Amino acid sequence: MSLQRLKAAVHFTVGRMCHSLGEDHRRTFSRQVIAAIAETTFRQCDIFAKDLEAFARHAKRSTVSSEDVKLAARRSTALSIFIQNKIEELKNQEQRDLKKKNTGKRKSRDTEEDSRE
Amino acid sequence: MAESDTEVEFKKETVSKVLSSFFREDKTKLSGDATLLMAEMLKVFVQEAAVRSLKQAESEDCDQVDIEHFEKILPQLLLDF
Repeated sequence: MSLQRLKAAVHFTVGRMCHSLGEDHRRTFSRQVIAAIAETTFRQCDIFAKDLEAFARHAKRSTVSSEDVKLAARRSTALSIFIQNKIEELKNQEQRDLKKKNTGKRKSRDTEEDSRE
Repeated sequence: MAESDTEVEFKKETVSKVLSSFFREDKTKLSGDATLLMAEMLKVFVQEAAVRSLKQAESEDCDQVDIEHFEKILPQLLLDF
């Protein structure tokens, strides 16, 4: 996917989020401000990506994990807690999925869990 | 159908492609969980940008949220992330 298409995809979602929020508060977001927020978000992805890559490499991994995302969220306490909660949610979902799979099955199977390092 | 709109989110595929495009090394990959978490984080980022801009516009009695409102809140936004 070309850079332009990626930017457009981000812009699209940002636009929808702004419109949704604007509706709730009975205000409109100008096209310029939506474009600016989209551009800033895209640039922030660059910062996040570089951080995530550095954290993974520091842990001698080539696959970025949820631990790396936790680190990326460290600057804000509220954000850290939010991400930690999401990680718990994902873990619980995983547990539930595993239980469903194992019910009634005697054979042990290989389960691919890419969150385990 | 619920009264409120379904929440807008970033597609997992988009998040994965965007972040991957910025990795320095070809071998660096994102786990499924990391992608989901980053989608959430980006959603928060956009929401913060939008809400803070909106509050700024409200405090200035403006009906429309404009670039100048975003510019005012941008420095703190970046520091917070």
